[in-house]
Amino acid sequence: MMQRAADVANRLLAGEVAAGARAIRWLDDRDPRGPEVLAAVYPQTGRAQVVGVTGPPGAGKSTLTDTLVTEWRKRGQRVAVIAVDPSSPFTGGAILGDRVRMSRHALDPGVFIRSLGTRGQAGGLSRSTHDACLVFDAMGYDIILVETVGVGQDEIDVVNLAHTTVIIAVPGLGDEIQAVKAGLMEAGDIFVVNKADRDGYDATHRQMELMLHLRAQTVTDQRWHVPLLRAVAAKGEGADAIVDAIAAHRAWLDGHGDFISRSRMRAREQVLSLVRDALADRAVSISGDAIMHRVETRQLDPYAAAEQIVATLSGKSAAA
Amino acid sequence: MTTFKRPLRVLLAKLGMDTHTVGVTVIGHALREAGMEVIFTGLKQTPEMVCAAAVQEDVDVVGISTLSAGHTRSLPKLARLLREAGAGDKLLVAGGVIPEEDKPILEQAGVDRIFTMGSDTRDIVAYLESWWAQRLAEDAA
Repeated sequence: MMQRAADVANRLLAGEVAAGARAIRWLDDRDPRGPEVLAAVYPQTGRAQVVGVTGPPGAGKSTLTDTLVTEWRKRGQRVAVIAVDPSSPFTGGAILGDRVRMSRHALDPGVFIRSLGTRGQAGGLSRSTHDACLVFDAMGYDIILVETVGVGQDEIDVVNLAHTTVIIAVPGLGDEIQAVKAGLMEAGDIFVVNKADRDGYDATHRQMELMLHLRAQTVTDQRWHVPLLRAVAAKGEGADAIVDAIAAHRAWLDGHGDFISRSRMRAREQVLSLVRDALADRAVSISGDAIMHRVETRQLDPYAAAEQIVATLSGKSAAA
Repeated sequence: MTTFKRPLRVLLAKLGMDTHTVGVTVIGHALREAGMEVIFTGLKQTPEMVCAAAVQEDVDVVGISTLSAGHTRSLPKLARLLREAGAGDKLLVAGGVIPEEDKPILEQAGVDRIFTMGSDTRDIVAYLESWWAQRLAEDAA
């Protein structure tokens, strides 16, 4: 009972959960039917707001996601959640545990939660995350929330994926210097200090405020006022203000034409990353192990090897 | 570069009202070590919740831990819900405190395999791996 791509595409466009789930599985597994489905549904995408939620491990990303979903549902919006957790670099296995904190939405037909392992991709997302967003977009979800793995200092691929990036900090992680180093502070559209009922909240808030002031001075195109919000996600506090800010950011993006330019940037990023993957695969298959062996045995340096491979690829495409 | 290998996706859930998570956690880690993607749903799940999660996650295997009785009702119900959702081809495996005399009832209701207390995680991994190899071979054919 081989399923056909065209059939799955039609069913997911009609909103069928099992079909959307299967399409994402194909894309995640690099099954050739995945790109076929995407090709069929791609014209129907471009409406949903993709919201990235990121922050260090233990910041409460899943719990906050859960409360945001509740708030959006109160407002009648349909929400898809993509929750990314790390895959083991050794076995490829993964424990995907983000659903545990979102159990109360399990039976809500307006909520679709999908867990993905990073499967070898660095940067806080899986390589299929873009694709899963497109599937949910085609299914008609209003909001697609992407929860990244717990990030450190520069795993901020989500910025290239999301229209709106929410960055979560918590008191007591010794963030002061980390926040200065981190690309995170330059990236976010909305900042949240979660677990705000804990000791150290005031210090963390002050530090974040300072960083945002510094950023406002250095970033020239600072028309969007980046809000700094407080939350106690475990008690459901703060979700309404965060959802308000996310909606305000969408309105701001629409008003300034940035929704379209961010969508364009996202599409461009995805195309380039697919090109990189495809070229790398072809390069390896064309050049084989021989050239790698010459590098390993110090007969050829890595730059020269790369140049040879690229030259071979160019020769192939010129001949084609 | 090795060719990409499709990992087996397994949903692990606890049906019933108890909160004993050690067994399901140990099994989850054993499956992860074997290269599988393990999705946890949390405690106190109903058959409806497990079925919805299995469909959304498009898993290959649904593994249920049951330690507080009620499994002769909840597991057949889950099997029926999965069939109704068009997900009857997923492997349904149960473990935990399941008396010998309940096994035929569950097997007849659509539970594919039962691992009772004291099962070796290596046996569970081996069973899932051989099922998955067979499924992949069928798909390729």
